[in-house]
Amino acid sequence: MSYYLGLLQLIGVHTLLGLSAYVLMLTGQLSLGQAGFFAIGAYSAGILTVIFELPILPALLAGALIAAFFAFLVGFPALRVKGLMLVVATIAFSEFVRLFFFNLSWRVPRGDIHVGPDSTNGFREIRYFVANGWSAWEITTFVWIFVILVMAALWWMDRSRAGAVLRAVGEDELAAQSAGINLTAVKVTAMTAGGFIAGIGGALYAHTATYVDHLTFTVLLATFAISYPILGGLSSVFGTLVAVIFIQGVLVEGLRFLGDWRNIVFGLLIIAAMNLKPSGLFDARTTLLLRRSVGLGGRE
Amino acid sequence: MSIKRLSAAALAGVVAAALVAFAPTASAASDRTVKIAGWGAKSGPLRSFGVNSEAVLKAAVQAINDAGGVKLGDGTMADMELDYHDSACNADQAISVARKVESQSEALIGIGPTCSGAAAAMYGIFQKTVDDDSDTGLQFPILTDTAIRPGLAKKSQWTFRNVPNEITMYDELFKWLREQYPDVSTIYGGTETDQAHSKLTFAIVIVPMAKKHGFEWVGGGIEGVTGAVREGYENVLEVSKSSNWLLADTNFSVQARAFKKSGADMMIVSSHPFTTCGMLKEMKRQRINPKVLVGLTSSSSAETLKGCADAAEGIYIPTGFAPITEAAAMVAAAAEANGGSADLHSAAAWENAHIIKQVVEATGVMAKPETLAEDRRKMRDGLEALVNVDGLLGEIGRVQDEGESIKPYVFVQARSGDWEVVHDPR
Repeated sequence: MSYYLGLLQLIGVHTLLGLSAYVLMLTGQLSLGQAGFFAIGAYSAGILTVIFELPILPALLAGALIAAFFAFLVGFPALRVKGLMLVVATIAFSEFVRLFFFNLSWRVPRGDIHVGPDSTNGFREIRYFVANGWSAWEITTFVWIFVILVMAALWWMDRSRAGAVLRAVGEDELAAQSAGINLTAVKVTAMTAGGFIAGIGGALYAHTATYVDHLTFTVLLATFAISYPILGGLSSVFGTLVAVIFIQGVLVEGLRFLGDWRNIVFGLLIIAAMNLKPSGLFDARTTLLLRRSVGLGGRE
Repeated sequence: MSIKRLSAAALAGVVAAALVAFAPTASAASDRTVKIAGWGAKSGPLRSFGVNSEAVLKAAVQAINDAGGVKLGDGTMADMELDYHDSACNADQAISVARKVESQSEALIGIGPTCSGAAAAMYGIFQKTVDDDSDTGLQFPILTDTAIRPGLAKKSQWTFRNVPNEITMYDELFKWLREQYPDVSTIYGGTETDQAHSKLTFAIVIVPMAKKHGFEWVGGGIEGVTGAVREGYENVLEVSKSSNWLLADTNFSVQARAFKKSGADMMIVSSHPFTTCGMLKEMKRQRINPKVLVGLTSSSSAETLKGCADAAEGIYIPTGFAPITEAAAMVAAAAEANGGSADLHSAAAWENAHIIKQVVEATGVMAKPETLAEDRRKMRDGLEALVNVDGLLGEIGRVQDEGESIKPYVFVQARSGDWEVVHDPR
């Protein structure tokens, strides 16, 4: 059972990562900086529980807030660029963060060992959960409480004026600005919210994996972050969840039996899925069908 | 059939297959077999390491079964059964496979993973101290064959390793080189800085050991490097001192130019086979011919010779495997027959399978579904109790409280496309 629970934890963490990119993509921004915010959340929360011996909850929230602060800072210069230029700028930020942690060495004695980030050796001993007797069920529940909270918040936002504003900016910036929407406030808020969500994801990841190093936060992770909402579709927060289950659950874990062929099939299936559902696995039509099937109605 | 329909059919087929793959494997086989699980990098840039380990493990299991199998606690002879998984060189995947094997299979023990970073992450999810009820980490024994970074196994009392001790190996290598090349005085080198094993072995072990035996870094030495392990290691990695590159690099002209400019008598290339070959080829192109060339243990493999035998000509590397005993030669042939090659990493997989046999027989493992947890505990206790085991090059000592081993080793040199043993300190 611990395997399935571990997989659920991984899916939960990656869903948060995907949702952090989803918020930004609603405003039409494509960012590869989510891996950097995820790393900041992971290292910050890890340092707080391991070096400062804080409980998990304040450490996790602090990690998320620190990540959000950096996202806020990145949000302003990011306003000056869009499209591919924003992608390049945010990759640069992610790499900056990764290389910072690659060089970070902050070790303190704890009993007969030293703990804390150790440069290339990585950051070990982030064992808050297991060292405090948390069962796999409890860890999984804890992770999913945050996933559900974030999804519920985004789902609610999507149905409020705030969601309409984000989508308006994403659809046509000029039209949105003409309608009196403050682009700076909307984009920076979306970037900050994305950073906060990625920070929660990173903090949870560090504590479920018990170890992080700079290689965890490469461009590949950033690519996964934007792949989830792209593959899942932007019509609903559930699209990102479906895409994470598809990629992490089916393609990465489910195809392990294919051995060497796994990576090839992985790529082909992504192409097949995008061909089959160009607007995402959970596109507007699927959302509508599901709403009807559960008796919630809905119009074409 | 339209592309959409084809896509849908392909997608549905693979998703169905993937879901079948999720089904627990424990119920599939409950007869008396000694099940072991292996995992390592069978995809990605370090793929050859996993392929080699699997090939050697398969050969070892076959050899054990051909010789009658493993004697269980009640005297029954049982076959050994191997299930090998791809965990790439990735922490998430190594953790996931460890959890899957622990909870979904009847494996008594796991062998893996390939990369030290993945091992460092994976070991963290295991119970740190046996019988500590407040620690909910996995209780499943691991006997790693490849991940070689110093000091990893002591993270948990459930994790053990059978990997060479690089400190002793390089200490002895430079001592021997001192005798062989009395006129060599200066050294220079570089490493793959995004790979902890290459980087740390270079800075913490290789450069200090060279210093210990009288070799001086060009340009007046490196501050803080005294010849003791770890001392001054941060200074070794300063870009003003040594060269550096990354695992994914394909261009080494700047680094090779720095090697050439140094004019050192002895040059050190501390990286894995792929970048070692890139660097050595560039050194050859720039006509850099040091009196002595030294490499990282992990590069004493068939991959280096397949990739750059000419450029690697003359390089010295200490290794824990060479086909110089009857058993080692037999393992090399068996690995090849299984589509891999035996080297210092993969050969340990052979030893591990035989160590497992020895522990099963010594601790009275029953290999029944109802005794699984008890059997795993016996395996752990048995591994901890081991003092000496037979290895391919001779007796392997165990450091019980750290879960590590002390393995015999030899020094090899690349000569005409082959590794030749040039010194055997056993």
